[in-house]
Amino acid sequence: MTLFSDEEKDILQEVMNIAFGNATADLAEVIDIFVVLTVPQIQVMKISELPTYFEKNIHGFERIWKLDQEFWGDFSGSGFLIFPEQIGKSLVELFGTGDLDPTENNPFDSLEKEILLEVGNILVGACVGKIAELLDTRVTYSPPIASQGECSNFARLVENYDSDQTAIIMKTVFEFENHNISGLLFFITSQDSIEWLKKSLYDYLESFDE
Amino acid sequence: MIKKILIVDDSPIARKIMKTCLPKDRGYEISEATNGQEGIDKYLSVKPDLTFMDLTMPKLDGYKATEEIKKIDKNAMIVAATADIQPKSLERIMALGAFTVLKKPPRKSSLEEILDKVEKQLTEK
Repeated sequence: MTLFSDEEKDILQEVMNIAFGNATADLAEVIDIFVVLTVPQIQVMKISELPTYFEKNIHGFERIWKLDQEFWGDFSGSGFLIFPEQIGKSLVELFGTGDLDPTENNPFDSLEKEILLEVGNILVGACVGKIAELLDTRVTYSPPIASQGECSNFARLVENYDSDQTAIIMKTVFEFENHNISGLLFFITSQDSIEWLKKSLYDYLESFDE
Repeated sequence: MIKKILIVDDSPIARKIMKTCLPKDRGYEISEATNGQEGIDKYLSVKPDLTFMDLTMPKLDGYKATEEIKKIDKNAMIVAATADIQPKSLERIMALGAFTVLKKPPRKSSLEEILDKVEKQLTEK
């Protein structure tokens, strides 16, 4: 799919790189964790192609946690984080249970979910926020939603989207150092945002000439 | 005095932005490399006065490239140009011998400040 030129993809990749770098720094302020970053990859595809893409890119996980958060504005879409299911327990250990008693009113599963929602909110929210800042716009967010499921059923991840809609996959794989945790972050950008996004990417590049 | 600058970054856009932000009136000779290994090779062939080093790169990352260059030339002047602004990343690259860190995206003012600091450091040597 040649919706974006190579140069547009390169600009998007650099914007994504900066945004995710900022997001991980925000996460490091909340928990004592170091995120090992990898080079982000940009791909454009139809929503209908996503389940196959996930199967190829998310391997080694049997069950997953999926967090998604919608955002609106000139730049609209959804941000997704996918983690292996066992991340929940590791994150609870990292965060600590604080004042919460996992044995009474806050069962461990609920605590896991709350912590994952917070991590997702920071990573997706900070990342989208930085993209919006760099592209000189602002976005509003819905609260993040966390759900668990079988890794084999990727079609369910995108069942609410029009299969002909375009997905811009801005994928970055990351690892939490010393904790054997890795995950995948990606965005599906709404069709309505694409023309705005293309123009804004060039405006961003030109802003350095000023 | 800074004459030769090497920009090591896998992103062509990041390299373009860096070149755009460098002052045009100082006559810098600019070389580029697209990953850490190429950065080491270019360092050896170009012998730059200043190297801007991205940290997250394919093949060889900026940490390892900085470490290798500092082994070859302990006086190498390397500025980490990175979007990874986690405190531990910054501590790590500084411990490996980077002179300072330039947060991405660079701004002309912050870049000029760094260039002045590097000039001062080179003059004092």
